Amino acid sequence: MQIDRRHVHNFDWLMLGLVLLASFIGVLTIFSATRPLTGAGHHSTYYIKQLAWMVIGLIGMGVVVKIDYRQFGRFAWIFYAIGLILLVFVLGMGRMGMGAQRWISIGGISFQPSEIFRLAYIIVLARYLSFLKPPIGVRAFLKMLPLLALLPFGLLVKQPDLGTATTMGMVFLFLCIARGMSKKLVTALLIFGLVSGPFLFDIVWHGFLKGYQRDRIVAFMDPQVDPAGIGYNINQSKIAIGSGMLFGKGYLKGTQGPLRFLPENHTDFIFSGFAEEWGFAGCMALLLIYLAILLRALDTARQAKDDFGALLALGLTFMFAFYFFFNIGMAMGMLPVVGIPLPFMSYGGTAVFCNYIAVGLLINVRLRRFELFY
Amino acid sequence: MARSLLLSTAIAFAFFVVLVRLGELMLLDHQELSAKAASQYRREDHIEAGRGKIYDRRGRELAVSLDARSLYCDPAQVVSPRKVAMELSRAIDMGYPQVAARLAPDGKRHFVWIKRKLTEEQSDALKGIKLGPGLGFVDEPKRYYPEGALASQVLGYLNMDNQAQDGVEKEYAGTLTNKGGKVVVERDATGKILSQGVQLESKGDNIVLTIDDGLQYIAETALDEAMQKWKAKSASVIMMDPYTGGILAMASRPSYNPNDPGASPAGSRRDRAIMDVYEPGSVFKIVMGSAALEDGVVTPQTVFDCHGGRYTVGGRTFHDVEKNGLLTFEQIIQKSSNVGSIQVALKLGADRYYKYAKLFGFGHKTGVDLPSESGGYARKPHTDVALASMAIGYGVSVTPLQIVRAYSAVANGGYLVYPHVVSRITAPDGQVISSFNEQSKRVLRPETAAILKNIFSMVTQKGGTAEEAAVNGNAVCGKTGTARLFDPRTGRYSDKYASTFVGFVPARDPKIAMIVVFKAAKGAIYGGVVAGPVFSSIAEKAFAYLNVPRDDADQSNMVYLGKDEHGAVYTP
Repeated sequence: MQIDRRHVHNFDWLMLGLVLLASFIGVLTIFSATRPLTGAGHHSTYYIKQLAWMVIGLIGMGVVVKIDYRQFGRFAWIFYAIGLILLVFVLGMGRMGMGAQRWISIGGISFQPSEIFRLAYIIVLARYLSFLKPPIGVRAFLKMLPLLALLPFGLLVKQPDLGTATTMGMVFLFLCIARGMSKKLVTALLIFGLVSGPFLFDIVWHGFLKGYQRDRIVAFMDPQVDPAGIGYNINQSKIAIGSGMLFGKGYLKGTQGPLRFLPENHTDFIFSGFAEEWGFAGCMALLLIYLAILLRALDTARQAKDDFGALLALGLTFMFAFYFFFNIGMAMGMLPVVGIPLPFMSYGGTAVFCNYIAVGLLINVRLRRFELFY
Repeated sequence: MARSLLLSTAIAFAFFVVLVRLGELMLLDHQELSAKAASQYRREDHIEAGRGKIYDRRGRELAVSLDARSLYCDPAQVVSPRKVAMELSRAIDMGYPQVAARLAPDGKRHFVWIKRKLTEEQSDALKGIKLGPGLGFVDEPKRYYPEGALASQVLGYLNMDNQAQDGVEKEYAGTLTNKGGKVVVERDATGKILSQGVQLESKGDNIVLTIDDGLQYIAETALDEAMQKWKAKSASVIMMDPYTGGILAMASRPSYNPNDPGASPAGSRRDRAIMDVYEPGSVFKIVMGSAALEDGVVTPQTVFDCHGGRYTVGGRTFHDVEKNGLLTFEQIIQKSSNVGSIQVALKLGADRYYKYAKLFGFGHKTGVDLPSESGGYARKPHTDVALASMAIGYGVSVTPLQIVRAYSAVANGGYLVYPHVVSRITAPDGQVISSFNEQSKRVLRPETAAILKNIFSMVTQKGGTAEEAAVNGNAVCGKTGTARLFDPRTGRYSDKYASTFVGFVPARDPKIAMIVVFKAAKGAIYGGVVAGPVFSSIAEKAFAYLNVPRDDADQSNMVYLGKDEHGAVYTP
């Protein structure tokens, strides 16, 4: 295998470094969060599994970087079709996990199709939008709506995977805005939003949302409604964060996670455990790492050679941004609890792998920013 | 370009918002939130100590704790409840319907006691049965009183939850369980204990009583016999060391067995000797006698005209049982003349009279170390009628303990003692932690006490009101009291009487002070008749038990052989 010297030179080492840094902080936090209660007891192997997935993710990233990103654009619809089939598949035979059908097992390996789907979705969206001449008119918008919005979001909500549905919806909207919308379309969307908003809320509230999802939103509005039940996670997360103070309790000194007061402390609520041990100062450093990742990704989009590359990088940037803010906002009690992991840090094989592939795509776009098209 | 800048700004702004919120949670709400964090895993748990033992004054066990197990079930988990109920009911001798009812699931409760504090036999029987799922044991210490009903009202008892009720158990609950107390325990969200503060094997301190098991037995047996004879509504006896105030025996009837407190009505658990107040009648004349002698108003030979047993004060006529003419002061007490006593009291006046009632502690709790003591009622009389009534023991209410305390002061030469039942507290290893601080307060001059002692000894001699209280071989000092019982329901005096005998023996060197009270005895009313014989019966047996030499030993040419505390034989 030959490696182009220019590729080594132009490779986005900074991005890779930042992502690895966040990942290792994640592994350390998982190690702490899942450590046994007292000195004795078996330490769960989550952190080892996470490291293994990081290795697999890095290999995947390497493969993705090697292939010109425009090749992915060419096969975008095929990826998308596979992604949709997986979503349908998970509805049919996915095993139940945490009150939702999100997992598929093939040969003993479980994975979350919606994690894979989000990559395919962003690629196809970038591909489709790059062929649309800006600004996007009402007609063009309506044309893309069924296949690129209603169908995938319907499948996601049906799972139900509200987290992915919401973030992907936001990515869709923002990517359209970024591509440019005609004044007519903007007006139409605003009017539609204003008029149908209340009805939509009613339809979503009673028609789409499951009981536990409604409870989560109620709990978000007022966590004290039922501190032992639906508001429990939010309260415990806030307690964990709040007991961190300026410099935290110190690594491996946190209590909320190991004492099992904070459920999901190594996945969706990993930030709370980190905050408890590292304090405000640690959180600030962590936020800076994520800010750097996002700004770097944004810069990649700005420097991309073609529209597809720019839209792809921008879509991935939005994805990471929404995942990050939704997760942190949820942990701090600012947003309702939806199952959204913190990119790079949360435990979860499929998520780690897909995020590394996404980073690979970003590096890919940046790497080829000077190349001529031929 | 501009769009890219806008996006960067938006992201930066979002980070700023996150930072502000973080600051709010971590720096501003910090205290509240970390307090919450600590409070949910750190809890103060009460660790129950093995309850200390209660001993009598010679080290005999009166209350001990046994390890017992309690059987419980989770009805939802029990498989084939009928079969289980069948087997259980045979093993723990409980009716099948009762067991079946406890095993029946109601969908709510997951913890139901089947039988608490199993006996050893029941525990053994259960070992032979294979208990299915949903059944389990909890170790619960069970309090056991080896002597059964003996001294039950002094000891008190524990309820099913091992909470002390009544008696020494309640008064000294803190001592008996003092090594228990609070331990900080860290638990996880599932309630599993992670760590706890140092927890030594916890045992409470032991208590040594002033009660003597043997004397208590003698007193209670005599009380039971007399109850059979007189069919009284209630009765009490207190035997006290007149020099220290240590209570040697104390019992009341009706009584109960603390091993099974539920089997007797609540009234039987009442320690009447310290809780029930009554109008004492003539035994209260000790106040009049002490005051008159102490203040020099009379000499033992001062003569009063008893007007044939009728005397009117302020429009009310008081009677004597016997129609007496002229009586000396000592005869007034010996024969318990009301008319004479009233004249002495009137001569003293309310101020001087009341001073002595107060000195003896009437109207106030004695401070005995038992719960729920009554203080009685004794106020300064403001009219001659009130003074006359009080002089003969009406218009005041007292407890038997207060009376025997007053007579102890005469017995010991003029000191008011502080009654108590606990002599010392010892650590589980036997070391004495604290002893009762014996105090006393002089209330009478020794000369006065000596004169009174002499007068009280005449009561049980020929011409006295309590010849039946005399103890074979030992001179008894005492006083009878017979008073109508006030019926609070009708607001009048009933035709029932409280019959009291209080005194101390031997006269020369008193070893015990004792009061015997019967209320609503049938067939006889007089203290000398009802209570006197009980007094002498108890005293006689007590002296045999205590090896007290007879006063008349030398006169009757008897050689007394006794053993002192170290077992050496001595002759007086």
